[in-house]
Amino acid sequence: MSRPQYISRKQELPLKGDSTSIFLQVIISISVFIFAITLSGVLSINTMLYNWNQSILGSLTVQIMPINDVNKERATAQTLAHQDKAIELLQTVKGIIKVTPLSNEQLKELIQPWLGDGVNINNLPIPRIIDVKLAADAEIDFADLAQKLAQASPQASLDNHKLWLSKLIDFADGLKLIASTVLILVILITSGAIFYTTQMSLGLHRHIIEILHIMGAKDTYVAQQYGKRMAWLGFCGGLFGMLLAIPTIFFIGSLAVRIEGGIISDATLGLVDWGIIFSLPIFSMLIAMYTAYYTVKRTLQKML
Amino acid sequence: MAENNNIIEMQNVGIRYDQGPEVLSDIKLSLKKGSFHFLTGKSGAGKTSLLSMMYLAQKPSRGSMSVFGKNINFTNRDNLASLRRRIGVVFQDFRLLDHLSAFDNVALPLRVCGMDEREIRKRVTELLNWVELDAHMQDTPDTLSGGEKQRIAIARAVINRPELLLADEPTGNVDNFIATKLMKLFVELNKLGTTVVIATHSEKLINDFSYPCLHLQNRSLHIIRPNGYSMLREQNNV
Repeated sequence: MSRPQYISRKQELPLKGDSTSIFLQVIISISVFIFAITLSGVLSINTMLYNWNQSILGSLTVQIMPINDVNKERATAQTLAHQDKAIELLQTVKGIIKVTPLSNEQLKELIQPWLGDGVNINNLPIPRIIDVKLAADAEIDFADLAQKLAQASPQASLDNHKLWLSKLIDFADGLKLIASTVLILVILITSGAIFYTTQMSLGLHRHIIEILHIMGAKDTYVAQQYGKRMAWLGFCGGLFGMLLAIPTIFFIGSLAVRIEGGIISDATLGLVDWGIIFSLPIFSMLIAMYTAYYTVKRTLQKML
Repeated sequence: MAENNNIIEMQNVGIRYDQGPEVLSDIKLSLKKGSFHFLTGKSGAGKTSLLSMMYLAQKPSRGSMSVFGKNINFTNRDNLASLRRRIGVVFQDFRLLDHLSAFDNVALPLRVCGMDEREIRKRVTELLNWVELDAHMQDTPDTLSGGEKQRIAIARAVINRPELLLADEPTGNVDNFIATKLMKLFVELNKLGTTVVIATHSEKLINDFSYPCLHLQNRSLHIIRPNGYSMLREQNNV
């Protein structure tokens, strides 16, 4: 049975016809686009920092500087003797679970990008490297270990990666701070645009709101109508912005992969990160809805 | 008791707009529950201002005013809204919402209260039948005549079975037959307990229905007993 046409209820406030609707949707789309790009940057930096931490966590490197001698064979033998002393000491330290000197083949692999193939390691004054694995609960005094190593083998030096990593982390944190500021600004600009368009619309529909008040409508009744409308605009604008942002994020990602620097290519997005980006239309919907709702409530307080 | 026998009580009430002179001064009024009054006075005498205070669209600039026993100076916004739901208003310029159908306009006070849609459908259809506008339920106000709009405005004011009905020239745009029918509706509502105040210039209406008049003159309110209005007009040579 079809329902009579007059039952289909129209909203008392004709907000669908507001000229500000398109403007607001465009603003929200642009905001969500910028937000998504910036957020993907922040999330990528987080992944990058996590990967860096994981890769160096529980490990350190000992370098044995080569002995300079015109007799290359003797120099190599002396360097290896220093390496053995260092290994001997490291194996006695509590908390160290594995000590592995890098073989000539592994050293060749390390310098291959710079010097090419067919290099005789023994003819080059390059340091020998010992890879050290630490137990998960190891509590090692690195300063003390470095001193003991220097005593056991004056050619040995300890590198626990923290120095260079802390500089990178500072840089990444700086980028995150800038990105977070951009995110906050985007939210403020969007909320401001919603605030002013809502106020403009309230002025435009003032005569209807007065009638609703005289009929006994509470402020929440009017605010809910604005909240619902703005939620829809926020969702549509957010969806459009997000759909524009996704290919852009993929494009930036493909540029990062092309760098092949190891560091930048660590900046990838995980499933959870994508989940956060896909939820942006919901986020913009909630911001639009609550901003409009509270703007209406606040503005109507000034009326009788 | 907070809610006594007086629907509206005004003590030394004055109203002014911005920094202008007082439109109404020292108004003293006790509107008893179930009473019926005409509100008279020349154009610009302050009838609309007095009515707008009564339907809580304006607060007095001075003095104290109680509606349904609640002093409105100490009533919060939500409670003011609840008080307004007990008042039906017919505006001189109808103030219908042009984008809504006649049905939706009449349903407005019920929807504001959150009434069930089935009950709204039943009540609105009945009332629109009664004011002979059942054929225009889907029409928007801009397609209706002045008289039809007025009947929609009256239907909207009474749909909520208000305890206080305020009407500003409710029969100004209708023919005598409809005017008499609408007045009979007001009288019936009054008999059921609704307090009625009707602002009018129509001497015929005042004479046909012998109710007391609230007469505004020189910014003051005077209460005139039934049938005393003609004598007042003669005295003033109006």
